[in-house]
Amino acid sequence: MVEIRFLAHVDREKCVSCPLCENVCPTAAVTLPAKGAKAEVVDEKCVACPNCSGVCPVDAITLVPREVPLRLGLDATEEEEPAIVALCQKAHLHPQQWLCLCTATRVREGAAAVLRGATTPEEVALATGTRSGCTVYCLQPTLRLLKAHGVKVVQPEGYRWYDTSQTCWDVPEAVVRKYPGHFLEEDLAVFRKA
Amino acid sequence: MITQPHPSFIRRSAYGPEPKTRAAALPGIVGLDIQSLFPDMPRAIYVEGGDLGVVRAATRNSLKDVPMDKIRPGDKVNVLASQYGFTIMGGDAYAEMLRTIKDVVEERTGCRNIRLRVCTGFRIREPDEIIEHYRLREHFPAGAMGIRAIDKGIPIETEIGTLYGVARVYDADWIIHAHHGELRELDMHRMINRAYKPFAMSYARMETRAVAHMNFGPRSSNFVSRVIFHSPFVQSKFTFGCFLLTSPQGITGVTAGTDLEALDRKLMLLGFKSYGKIRELFAEIKDCIVVLDGTGEPRYMAGGGLSFGNVTEAELDLFDLDVVPVSLGFGLYERPRGQPKAKSVNPAIRALVINHMWLGVPQQELATHIPTIAVGDDLARLLREDPMNHDFMARCVTADNLPTAMKFAHALSGTDKVVVFDGSFGTMTVSPSLASYLTERAPHVSRRVDEELMPKWLRQRGIAPESIEAVDA
Ligand code: SF4
Ligand code: SF4
Repeated sequence: MVEIRFLAHVDREKCVSCPLCENVCPTAAVTLPAKGAKAEVVDEKCVACPNCSGVCPVDAITLVPREVPLRLGLDATEEEEPAIVALCQKAHLHPQQWLCLCTATRVREGAAAVLRGATTPEEVALATGTRSGCTVYCLQPTLRLLKAHGVKVVQPEGYRWYDTSQTCWDVPEAVVRKYPGHFLEEDLAVFRKA
Repeated sequence: MITQPHPSFIRRSAYGPEPKTRAAALPGIVGLDIQSLFPDMPRAIYVEGGDLGVVRAATRNSLKDVPMDKIRPGDKVNVLASQYGFTIMGGDAYAEMLRTIKDVVEERTGCRNIRLRVCTGFRIREPDEIIEHYRLREHFPAGAMGIRAIDKGIPIETEIGTLYGVARVYDADWIIHAHHGELRELDMHRMINRAYKPFAMSYARMETRAVAHMNFGPRSSNFVSRVIFHSPFVQSKFTFGCFLLTSPQGITGVTAGTDLEALDRKLMLLGFKSYGKIRELFAEIKDCIVVLDGTGEPRYMAGGGLSFGNVTEAELDLFDLDVVPVSLGFGLYERPRGQPKAKSVNPAIRALVINHMWLGVPQQELATHIPTIAVGDDLARLLREDPMNHDFMARCVTADNLPTAMKFAHALSGTDKVVVFDGSFGTMTVSPSLASYLTERAPHVSRRVDEELMPKWLRQRGIAPESIEAVDA
């Protein structure tokens, strides 16, 4: 379980509708309802990451304590273990591997979220509590799990995230040959799946 | 040889508490001179507080034969810097190298539209702090700007598909890759394509950084940087690379050129020569208290010129390419067959005292695996509110001041050996007992590296033994 103790608060007087915050939010919690409108936060979607308050050019966003912490996460043991293992294997991930170091979330929890119907990185984040820290590294295992489950991910408007998820399993043979000494095949051999 | 400790300057930041009494000022703490331990290590031309004119001259000298004729007076040029350069010995040397690059390019090409891009990791506001602290806007009137991994991207077509750079890194006719050769995290680069790394990190969008870290292996991750660098897009803008060279003694020189492969090879050889022995010396420590007391996050905080991230994994020889430890950052969980099982944190570290650090990297494993004491309520509050270390303070105690924390750490660990990571180069800030132990072990380490390890590291990379003698900072 990840306890989210803070919440983004927009000072509407300061906001100049730029709209940088909308493009960096991992859960699409902060949006501008219309062009030129002030930024608004959906409280239950905000995972209190450092992004919007970090990029706002006029310091209109601060993280304030929540009255009641938001608790995110799921119990992966409620999903069928063979289904979790099969999905992880398909994504070339190990169920016990870290999905998110910031929140100490394992890949099996992300797999459970996908098996329960999450279809976007934003939904996986809200189901697991991930992407509430650095917001960066957990995106790849998330995209890989979604794609392995057959979800057609759709890159959002703007630049909240870009759809790119190459792995060492995807490097074309000719490229492997072109770059000897880069341990592409050797590293593949040391990855072991569940 | 025992001398005065030389802790590095702590830069004030929103990501850390107010600096307080330094660990180097604790009674009995001494400086252990690095050069006397390893006289063959590349010598420093500059140490913190010294004459920056030396760095300026070394940068000018390194650039004198670098062709710049493709830059025309009306062009736009981006000098690309990375934030960690500014944590090396107070950051003045790196800032001076950047200023000199700009001056030389301006003099040689007549181009005045030379902008600085200061790239960062997770501390989103850090570039603004850097630009202000080193007054970089004054030296880059055409613009000095921060670059974050979450900024708008630009697609880069590579041999492994589309990857994304940060648009403002590449919004010029030309780019200059201005980096450094400090060892930093060996577990993440293994001295393979080290010089290319910023192309998949500092200069890249977050998805691409995560592709390198999470989707490739512990030895192949920098392959991602390499294919980005070799993409037609990056090649159409790349002019030259310029690197501040370091050894645990300090800044050892500056090297520059248009051939990044040649620069990478030089960095690799200098990496072995500069860091091979000190890393092995740290691996000799069987029990100690570590005190963190510097600028930046623990992983990259230097002690005796070596970053702490190398000490948390010092039990394994990570220059050795046959060693593939289970690493937190990569997609490994189970130990590959026949491989050593790395502990999450080197068990020789019996207690960790945090006097000063910045937030900004997930580092929960420290508090999970080592008895940890945070000094002061201000640091504790920052850690408690850090979204990248959700449970850190739940596994850590707080002491009101450093002497109390040390007393507790001594009682807890039963050792009187102390090493401080306070950004020092040239000396290692240690307790007298650790100074004697390391002085006794240094000749053994030196022999082992010269006779066994260095030949192996070179052999694994197909490099002739005499190359190591020939390379010079
Ligand atoms: S999740 Fe992060 S970016 Fe989104 S509203 Fe909350 S603090 Fe801002
Ligand atoms: S980043 Fe700041 S100014 Fe821009 S839309 Fe968001 S709150 Fe408003």
